[in-house]
Parts: sequence; structure tokens; C-alpha cells
Amino acid sequence: GTMDNRGAMKGSGDLNAYKNINDLPTPRDLMIQVDQKHEAILLPVHGSMVPFHIATVKSVTSQQDTNRTCYIRIIFNVPGTPFNPYDSNSLKYQGSIYIKEASFRSRDPRHSSEIVQQIKTLRRQVTSRESERAERAT
Amino acid sequence: MADGHLFNNISLGGRGGTNPGQLRVHSGGIVWKKQGGGKAVEVDKADISGLTWMKVPRTNQLGVISKEGLKYKFTGFRDQDVSSLTTFFQTACGITPEEKQLSVSGKNWGEVDLNGNMLSFLVGSKQAFEVSLADVSQTQLQGKNDVMLEFHVDDTTGANEKDSLMEISFHIPNSNTQFVGDENCP
Repeated sequence: GTMDNRGAMKGSGDLNAYKNINDLPTPRDLMIQVDQKHEAILLPVHGSMVPFHIATVKSVTSQQDTNRTCYIRIIFNVPGTPFNPYDSNSLKYQGSIYIKEASFRSRDPRHSSEIVQQIKTLRRQVTSRESERAERAT
Repeated sequence: MADGHLFNNISLGGRGGTNPGQLRVHSGGIVWKKQGGGKAVEVDKADISGLTWMKVPRTNQLGVISKEGLKYKFTGFRDQDVSSLTTFFQTACGITPEEKQLSVSGKNWGEVDLNGNMLSFLVGSKQAFEVSLADVSQTQLQGKNDVMLEFHVDDTTGANEKDSLMEISFHIPNSNTQFVGDENCP
């Protein structure tokens, strides 16, 4: 009914990691960061830290080559992705362009594996909470 | 100091990270020098095609767009610097800086805007990020709907970021009408 529609709208339309610019963590090193409190990841792009809400993240992987250089690959949810709790209203944004993937080279193998774990954990927490919420709503 | 303003602790951002330095804005243009020497950026007044201000976390960012289409981003201005510099640019250069807003919503959908050398990703008319097309080494069309940008790997001494963006891809649904029929541009 009407309530359900409003709920779906809330899921997608209210996706807001930060309300205020100064809520972003103080820029430290230009490296991938996880902000647990705001459920966001921050990616260094062209000298700035760019936030992405964890709900936009589909998966994250890392890889290490023979020179101990690490690669971190983040794949985002785009329309057509199965099971995406925030995507239920994607029709509303059908004129949009989506960031699908971002790959980084990391100089620090330890940071790289830590950050991948942190992103995975945060994603799991938020996804399970959201699906519980959706279940309760039905 | 009859002519111009001097600012310490102004960093120049771009591919490879940010570098601290000193910025002088005078009636002839702008000069930025890296702390400890080395890199310098100089843009003559006649070569400035546009100026932007953007509020970024805890400080302000000045964008200087050159007639060649390059954009330099200087960060570290206090609010009072913004108003005094705006007045200065208006009187000395006849340019009123454009105010831009930063998107911090964390959405991965929005619009792509190509302007000169810069590709901006906008979320609800606010800018989420910008990359310079000069840093793009290759673009690839993947399937019918995805465009991948590969960036030059910066191994120079100026690079001070720990994690460097190597590739980013954009998904353009069929329903998007902005870039129909132009396969060279995302």
C-alpha cells in the first residue's frame, strides 16, 4: 500500500552518509578510510576524500602482485544488481549515471588487507540490519 | 603589501595527492610555490578563464581554471579569506568566482559533466568529485553500458597518497539520454 511505497522511497532517497560537510573525518593521509559512525567509506580521488555510503558498495576485493603492491577493487551497486535493498527505487534515478567500479593501488599491504576487512564487515552489518528491518516491515 | 595577498599553508591538490605550499595572489595573477622548493604553479591574470570557491571539510578550496582548460585546486582558505579574495578577484581581474557545493551524501549515482579538461561527477547538482582528463591514460567501452577510465600511474616524488586511483568505471543505463551516440565520451 501507500506505506510500503513510502518505505521504499525512504530507503533510496534518504541515502545520506553525511548531512554536513564538516561531519566528514578530518583529512589525514590520502588513503581509503572507513567511517563506522556514518557507515561510509572514503576514497582518495584527485587529492580529495570522496565519501560513498556503504549501501552503495556491492563488493570489495584485494590482490597482491609479486612486488608486494596491492590492488583494492571496489564494485558498487548499479541498476540490475540482484538483491540491493537500496535499489528498490532505482527507477526514479533512471536518468542517472552510476559509478560502477573503482580500483586503487596501495603502497601498504597491511593497510590494504585491514581496510578490505573493515569494508566487508561494515557492509555485512548494514546489510543484515537492513534486511531485518525489511522483514519486520512486511 | 600594496599589491596582493599572501597565504601560507595552501595545498595544491591533484593526481598523486596534495602538497603544502604558499600562495600569492596579486594583480598580475597567482603564484603557488611548494614548501621547501621544487614545484611552482604560476597563472597569469590573462590566462585565468574562471575561478571557483568550494567549501570542503573544515576549510575552503579555490579552483583556478586556465584558458588551456587546466584546473588548479588550492585548499586551506579561511572564510574571511574567501570574502577578501573574492573582492580582490573582482576588482583586480574582473572575475567573480563561482560558488560550488560539495556533495557528501555518499551516493554513487548522479550526472557526469565534462568541462574543459575536467570530468565532474555531480550528485543533485553538487559536486562529488572531479578528475582531470589529462591524467587519463586510456578509456575503454565495456559492453554496451560501461565506460572505464584508466589513469596514469604517478610514481613521481610528488605523489604522497597511500592509495592511488587506477581505474574508475561508469555505468550508463540505456535510459540515460545525455551521452547517446558518443562512444568516445562517458
